[in-house]
Formats: sequence, C-alpha cells, structure tokens
Amino acid sequence: MHRYKFVLYRPLQFLPVLFGISIITFVLVRLIPGDPARVLLGTRATPTAIARIREQYGLDEPLWLQYFYFIQNLGRGEMGKSILYKIDVLRLIATRIEPTLMLVITSVVLSILIALPMSAIAARRQGRLPDQAVRVVSTMGIGFPPFWLALMLIIFFSVKLDLFPVSGYGNTLPEKLWHLALPSLTVALSLSAVVTRSLRAAMIHSLRSDVATAARARGMPESIVFWRHVLPNSLVPTINLLAVNIGWLIGGTVIVESVFALPGMGQLLVRAIFSRDYMVVQGVAMVFACATVLINFLADIITVTVDPRVKL
Amino acid sequence: MTAPLLSIRDLVVNFHGQGAPRTLIDHVSVDLAEGEILGLVGESGSGKSLLCRAVMGLLPSRRLMIDGGLVALWGRDLVKASPADMLAVRGREIGMIFQNPTSHLDPVMKIGDQIAEGIRFHQGASAREAREAAVEILRQVGFPDPARQYDNYPHEFSGGMRQRAMIAAALSCRPKILIADEPTTALDVTIQAQILELLLDLRERLGLSVILITHDLGIVAQTCDRIAVMRDGKLVEQGPKRQVLRAPKHDYTRMLIGSHPSLPAGNIAKPCNVGPAVRQKERPLLEIDDLHVRFDTGGSLFRPGRKTVSAVKGVSLQVMPGDAIGIVGESGSGKSTLARAILGLVPLSSGHIAFDGVDIAQQPRKALAKLRRETAMVFQDPLNALNPRLTVGETLGEVLKIHGTPVAEIPGRINELLDLVHLGREFAGRKPRSMSGGQCQRVGIARALAVNPRLIIADECVAALDVTIQKQIVDLFAELKARMNLTLLFIAHDLAIVRNLCERVLVMYHGEIVEEGLSADIFARPQRPYTAALIDAVPDIDPDKKLLAPKTDVEPAAA
Repeated sequence: MHRYKFVLYRPLQFLPVLFGISIITFVLVRLIPGDPARVLLGTRATPTAIARIREQYGLDEPLWLQYFYFIQNLGRGEMGKSILYKIDVLRLIATRIEPTLMLVITSVVLSILIALPMSAIAARRQGRLPDQAVRVVSTMGIGFPPFWLALMLIIFFSVKLDLFPVSGYGNTLPEKLWHLALPSLTVALSLSAVVTRSLRAAMIHSLRSDVATAARARGMPESIVFWRHVLPNSLVPTINLLAVNIGWLIGGTVIVESVFALPGMGQLLVRAIFSRDYMVVQGVAMVFACATVLINFLADIITVTVDPRVKL
Repeated sequence: MTAPLLSIRDLVVNFHGQGAPRTLIDHVSVDLAEGEILGLVGESGSGKSLLCRAVMGLLPSRRLMIDGGLVALWGRDLVKASPADMLAVRGREIGMIFQNPTSHLDPVMKIGDQIAEGIRFHQGASAREAREAAVEILRQVGFPDPARQYDNYPHEFSGGMRQRAMIAAALSCRPKILIADEPTTALDVTIQAQILELLLDLRERLGLSVILITHDLGIVAQTCDRIAVMRDGKLVEQGPKRQVLRAPKHDYTRMLIGSHPSLPAGNIAKPCNVGPAVRQKERPLLEIDDLHVRFDTGGSLFRPGRKTVSAVKGVSLQVMPGDAIGIVGESGSGKSTLARAILGLVPLSSGHIAFDGVDIAQQPRKALAKLRRETAMVFQDPLNALNPRLTVGETLGEVLKIHGTPVAEIPGRINELLDLVHLGREFAGRKPRSMSGGQCQRVGIARALAVNPRLIIADECVAALDVTIQKQIVDLFAELKARMNLTLLFIAHDLAIVRNLCERVLVMYHGEIVEEGLSADIFARPQRPYTAALIDAVPDIDPDKKLLAPKTDVEPAAA
C-alpha cells in the first residue's frame, strides 16, 4: 500500500499552491477597472456616501492590509461580506454550489457514457464507416461552441418536442436531474468529443500492441481482449486528459448556467463581476481553483489504482 | 517416425497492397512430430515469425492473407477453420510465447490473472479453481513462491521471470504444441540457458512439441531435434539437426553456420600489438583508477531515507593506444555505466579517469572537450541512434562540420567514410528508414570514425543484429582496427563475439571487475566461477558440447 502514501503528504503541497492562488485572484480582482461602492450606490451617489461604503468594506485600507484581512477571515471560515448580497461570501457560495456540482457530475458521467462506446466502436472498426462517423461527430463536438449548442438543444428538445424544461432548477432530485438534462448534454457533447478522440487513439494503439497479440495467442476471444486488456491499458492517458478538461469545464459552467438560468456558481460569478463585487469574485475564483487542484489529486489516485507501475 | 502432429503443406501467404500481391511465405512445407523440437532458423524478414502467425491464424494485418496450402493439426485443416474454432485451437492446442515478455504481458494485470484468464475461458473453471491451477503452473515454470507471486504485476519481475510467466500463460490450458518466437533473444546468456533448460524440461514432463524460432544456431544445436532454415519466405533446407549442421546442403545454411561466433578457437584475436616490454614505455590512452559511480534512488522532499545504488565499484583499467578491450557481463553488471562514465556522461562518485593524461574530475572542461573531440560512441540500436530526418550524408556532414572540417572537403570525406565502412557512395543520399539494421550500424560506425577518434566505445553495438550481419560488423571492426590502429572498448553480453574481436577481456559482475586478462586465457581457463558460468551458458553450435549440465539426457525418446 506504500504506493498510496502520497495521499497523505500530497495535501501538504496544496498549501503553497493555494497561497499562490489566493494572491493571484486577490490582485487580479482589484485590477478590474471600476469602483464597487460606485456601482452599489449608483451614478448619483455623493462622495461622502461612497467614502462611507468604502470604509465599511475596508476598501480604503492599503492593499497588503486588505489581503491580510482576507487571509485572516479565511482562517475563520469567512471570505468577507458580499457587497451585493450583504452576507458572507462562503455562505453565499454554499447556497449556490449544489447546481454547479450537480452539473459537473452529470456532465462528466454523461460524457463518459457517450465517449466509451463511441471510441470502442470506432477503434474496433478502424477506418470503416462507424469509425468515420464517430470521427466526424467528435470533430463537430469540438468545433461547435457550447452556447450555440445549448440554444439548438433548447429549440429542438424544449420548444419543438417539449421534453425538457427551457431553464431553471427544481427542488427534488428527479426534478433537478430533469432540469439538468439539457445543460449537462451541452457540456457532455463537447467534453465527450475530446475524450473520444484520445480514447480512440489509445485503443487503436492497444489493439495492435503485443499485449493484445499475446492474449489472442492464448485463445482469448476479441471481447475479452478488448475489455480486459485493451481498455484498461487505454485508460491511463485518458484519465489525465479528463482531469484537465474537468478543471476547464468548471470555469466553462459560466456560459451554460447563464444560458439555462441555473442558479449556480457560474451565474453568481457573472453577476459579481458586473457589480464589481470583489469578495464574491475572489471567493468563487478560489473555490474553482481548489476544485481543479482537488480533481487532479483525484485523477492521480485513480491513475495509481489503474496502473500498478505508477509511483507518485 | 509416427504421423506428424502438425503438418504445414505448401503454405502461401501474400501481402495484398497496391498493385500485385507480394509473396511473403512461398510454398512452405514442414512437419512437426509429436514430442519433437523443431528449430526454425533464419534472419529477420525471412518469414519465420510470419509462418507461425499464419499457423495460429494471427496474421498481423488484414492485408496479409493465406492464399494457398494447408495447416493440418490432427488431420484438421486450420486454414479453413472458422474463427470460433481457432479460439479453441489457440491456447488449448497450440500455445505461443514471444521474444519480448515485457511488452507481451499486460502491465496492468496481475501475472496470475493473465494465466487464470485462459483457464477460466477455455475450461470454464471457477475463479478459485483457475487460481489454484495458475498457482500450480507458476510453480512448474519455476516461481519460488507462486501463491504470493500470483498477485504481483509483470514490472515487479526480472526479464527471465517474465519470460517464465509468459510460458506459464501459454501453457495454462495444456496445449500439445508450443511455438516459441525468439524466446531468449532479449535475455542474458545465463538466463537464456535457464529458459532453454525449462523448455526442455517442460517438453519432457508435459510431452510438448515445440517450434523454436531463433536466429542463433547455437540454441538450435543445443535444444532442437530437427532444423528448418528459411530465407526470403522460402524453406531452403530442413532435416535432422546433426545432418544439417555437419553437412549443410544449401549455401545459405553454410553461410549461417560460418557466421556463428562460437566457432573454433583458431579465430581468437591475437594481440596484434607489439609485446608488453615495448608497450610499457607508452603512455596509456585511458587510465581509470578505483572508479566508483553511485546513484541515489527513492526519497523525496517529504520522504527522506534515500538509498544509494553502486553501479560501478572500484574499477581500475589501463587502455593502451591500439588496444581492443572487451567488457562483458550481464545486464545490470555496470558495463554501460562504466562506458558512460568514461565519456563524462555520468558524474563520478570517486576515483579518477584520465584520458590522454587529462583528469576528468580535476580539469573537467578541458577533459570533456578533449574527450568529445577524440572519442566516439557506437550505439546498440542503430536505427534509433540516427536522426530519421537527415540523410546519411547530412548526418556525417554535420559531425565533420562541428569538428572543423573545411566545407570544401566535406563531400570527399563523406565518400571516404562510406568507403571505409563498405557502403556504396549513393548511401549519402538515403535516409535511415530505407536502410537495413546492418547498413544503419555501418553508418553509425562511419559517424564514429568521422571525428578521427583515438578511442571508440561500442556499447552492445551488434546485439540487435542478425548473426550474419553481426559477423559482418565484427569483421568490419577487426579490419578498421588493423588499418587505422583504433583503440576500441567493446561492450557486449555475447562472449563469443568479444573473443573473436578483442585481445583483452574484462568480466564485470555487480559493478566490479571479477576477472581480466587475455581473451585466449580467459576463455580457455576461466579463474572465477562466474566467468566459467558465463562461458558455459553460451550455446555452442556443436550439439555434442552440452549447454547444460548433463542432468538429463535431452535426446528425445526413440519415436
């Protein structure tokens, strides 16, 4: 079990990483032109009112002191008060994290469900019609922008067929999943395209490998050769690709949540940016960054489980 | 003789590409009798592997097709058998093992599961029965602790144990025929001897019939009953082992036998230099004094407790100008590390290396500059050591340019170099991809010669080549040595080649020189048991010089 030791000490390495992320998000947010107090109070606000708001939110302090308070608050489990919503950012995020989390999970599951059979079919019939079809579809999946894809899905499935809701989020789990169907399909169509291309290439390589030849020479039928030898050997490079793309996907939820009016973190982020709600922007950015770090950590654990040769 | 178990008749395999089909197996007929070991000999590209793939119904491409002939197994024609029938034949009636166990074992599957897999599929055994059977087979092929080792993965074993695991997987369903495709080519001589011994032993115990594909006639002489020689897809000669080896009928067989390096002691390189009395006045070109090279392994920022591995422990050596010194040892003996240390490619832990009087540790810049100007290396894999994008002329020209040859003289020098290594001048315009392994290695040697080196280090430079090509390259080295007074460090695991080329030999074991001396002395009277074991492990082409201790009589029972 010593191969899993990194699960214990790797989190130690997260500390400097998170420290760096906090500095970068903190500074970047403050580089956005515009004054949150002015946005909050409107164009006709008096200079004294603006000064009062700035003082109230600590925006008149020097930058390093603001950062110090930020870190101090983090230690207490707070991220500062949202200017717009008047509650602590962490609590605000907690109310919004569920739809985003659900969206990411359903999209990833859906894209694996799409990518696995597609790449298996393509790889086992390389160069023939099914393979060509999969390649065309996956190139299209990469090529179409998600916002356009989202609108097309809405027009077809919601407006024409009336199968799924146009927007919003439900209260019970089946209701939620029903609302998430089109958003997650939007994401999955692009994500599965990327995964399919990688997995197909890895499978074609494995199908021709010595491992497959040796299994065939033992009289294994093609199905066993494929599922027990080719697939596990093809997964390793794909796991890391998937992890990188999930990290990218979390940022990408912004667009999909906006189109489908899902009350998640992406929507929160968009509104926070427009209203210069510093605390919320940096809070959401921090959470996104942590999630990316965590997902890659998870991918490492899966890689070690799948491939006994890997040592971390 | 009883009726043959497996009978191949007029088998034709064609490649259907663009244009007319190309014939790769041309009307080959060969039989395998029960309990027999048939040696299938030939160079790479002769079609010997393809023939066995055709028998198994495992042709590597859809464009390869069996266009004639039959393969009869117990009277059944495998060529006409349905894919479903072939599943039952493979693994159950014919097992197959391959040259490279590392790439043929599934790296992400437990070694035992790879064996149990076949038992479960072919015999419908339960998971537990299959595991028990697999453990038993692992024991039979020589795993010391099979119950525990069942759960290990291939990368946790050495090359020899991996090949044993491959054999176990191939034999898991008790096939009657085993096809072994170059099963020992990737292994050290001592391990090779163990694997061959295992094959002979299994043949006895399980009543196997074996087709052994190899390019090494020594292996054939030591293990096989009959020999079939293939060339360019045709069977040029077949017959009982002794008959073929003593009185070969075909020219090609004669050439194969002639190229075999374990030929009579008359070939041994003689110290062609002047006697020791004169030589002592010369300054050694290369002096190594108590050299140690250690590597740190394991450990990290959060996990102290790193280990140190000594690759070279206290090696001392003097190389005089014009010497040809062979360094032999098994993989892991430190011979390649020694070569890399000499060229300044790995840091020295302690000790001294002086090249032409300049100490590498004390004057590193000067010594390295000198080394890189005046030494050259020839590598094991000739194709991968050449830049695939450059033509041969460009490769050589690049070296010449860096070493300050005037531009006007470069084309002339390229031609000279090609002449030296016996390549046609038209090769200057060719790229490595379009050349054979032997031709690539000649270019590698030409590139080494381009710097007019005072020392050439050849690291296993013939290990990847066919025997006939090996002989040509070794002859080339011998010729160049005589003509240009080259100093040569020749690293090899093949003792026979070293014996024919080098007047002095060092035997390395676990990073130390365990024996050194004149080739003739060491091969005739090895002082150390390790050296003796190494020499004994080389399969001799004379079937009467037994490879293995006379434990059992390896001749087949009269049929």
